[in-house]
Amino acid sequence: MRKLLGAFTALVLATLYAPIAVMTVFSFNDSKYSIRWTGFTLDWYRKLAADTVLHDELWNTLRLAAATTVLATVLGTIAALAARNAFRGKALYATLVALPVMVPDIVLAISMRSFFRWLDVPLSLLTAIIAHTTFNLSYVAIVVSARLQGLDRSIELAGQDLGASPVRAFWKVTLPAILPGVASGAVLAFTLSFDDFVITYFTVRPGSGTLPMRIYSMVRFGVTPEMTALSTVILLASLALIVTALKISRVPVAGGGR
Amino acid sequence: MKGRFLSLLVPPAAWLVIFLVIPTAVLAADAFSADGLRALTDPLTWHLFARSFRIALVSTALCLAVSYPVAYFIAGCGPRWRALLLFLVVLPFWTNLLVRTYALKFCLDPLGWSNCESAVVFALVQSFLPFMILPLYSSIEKLPKRLLEASQDLGASPARTFWSVTVPLTLPGIAAGCILVFIPILGIFALPEFISERTPMVGSQINLYFMKGSNRGAGSALTLILMVLTMTLTGLYSRYKKSEGLV
Repeated sequence: MRKLLGAFTALVLATLYAPIAVMTVFSFNDSKYSIRWTGFTLDWYRKLAADTVLHDELWNTLRLAAATTVLATVLGTIAALAARNAFRGKALYATLVALPVMVPDIVLAISMRSFFRWLDVPLSLLTAIIAHTTFNLSYVAIVVSARLQGLDRSIELAGQDLGASPVRAFWKVTLPAILPGVASGAVLAFTLSFDDFVITYFTVRPGSGTLPMRIYSMVRFGVTPEMTALSTVILLASLALIVTALKISRVPVAGGGR
Repeated sequence: MKGRFLSLLVPPAAWLVIFLVIPTAVLAADAFSADGLRALTDPLTWHLFARSFRIALVSTALCLAVSYPVAYFIAGCGPRWRALLLFLVVLPFWTNLLVRTYALKFCLDPLGWSNCESAVVFALVQSFLPFMILPLYSSIEKLPKRLLEASQDLGASPARTFWSVTVPLTLPGIAAGCILVFIPILGIFALPEFISERTPMVGSQINLYFMKGSNRGAGSALTLILMVLTMTLTGLYSRYKKSEGLV
């Protein structure tokens, strides 16, 4: 029975990884019609490297993700800290914080789009940053809250009893203790923002596109070698990012690794 | 102390009111326009919701059927294998969904399996597996071994033990996984279009209304219905969690 389960698990993992592996291999294929292997080439990657529009899109994606990460990490951490206190309307507050995670992306994207139109604010990279911050704030708050739950509040109070001001107690005691949670939240926010398509698509000015938006518009032309090469680059970049983040901050990727 | 707390509460609360509550109100106002109300009686609207519901339901059920054995296997492994397998399950989640879908399309197209609902369901199940496996794993891992042994000692067959002890005890994980998979699929956009243009879901119609047809009222109505549906589902789920004493 156990062997059967093991074989099944291996099969499921293979379905997760096989398409990625096949795509990576065929991004080096010499043929324009990527189904048959005709020889090794780096041409498609050379074409990508020469594509200046693509460089702008990469720059937009990085700016969007970086700005979102800073804003969402600060606001999300504060939101998690505030939720530790009991106050009137806390249930409503908690629902508000969790809402962006609970509804599908498209709901948040459309409400944001309608909001900016109602205010007559033209869409730009800035409106996309605001939309991204709103949904990532929730993810950061959830991750940091989980970390705060494990924190013994008496340590902070002890710090204050020993004469540290609340601000100093926060910097010297609370922040170091929750830093791994804040770091995981930041990595999560950066990744989600970097990979997001739906929210960007509805809240950004059509001219200032991002990499995921390029993928969306390219797929309409079907499977092309340039698209295959670009997808491979994005995929490997994401994998490199998460593995580095893991090494640096020891972010628990899965909750089970304790 | 009170002042410090307020200064903590105000920035995120203000952000959420301005950029979440007000936008939702604007959305609702657009949805209750003449165009929006007309969309409610449009058969297309309900046809699309029916298809989205069907696709989300079938994908969630298949996801559960595939994930349970995997989560069960991982929970029974030693600590090193566990960590490795969980890492492998979660890793794709950290990469771009559209890129993964493109990779899948790259492999399915030559096989002739595209442009149909079954290919869309396959792609959705493949993409959302981690969201099902993780909650299942954490509730299977917590199963008290003694109860399983007791059941077998009392003469229950392995199948009977599984259905009368294991499944009921892991129901919280099953519920969490189903909600995490069902809700995003119900409102999904872009992924289904990659695999098949012939089976539009609610998300693709919202896109058409906003970006192509410029029928903002109808698009807002569909979005608001989607929001109400998903919030009802999460509301029911959190009541279930409370009744189980999980909160």
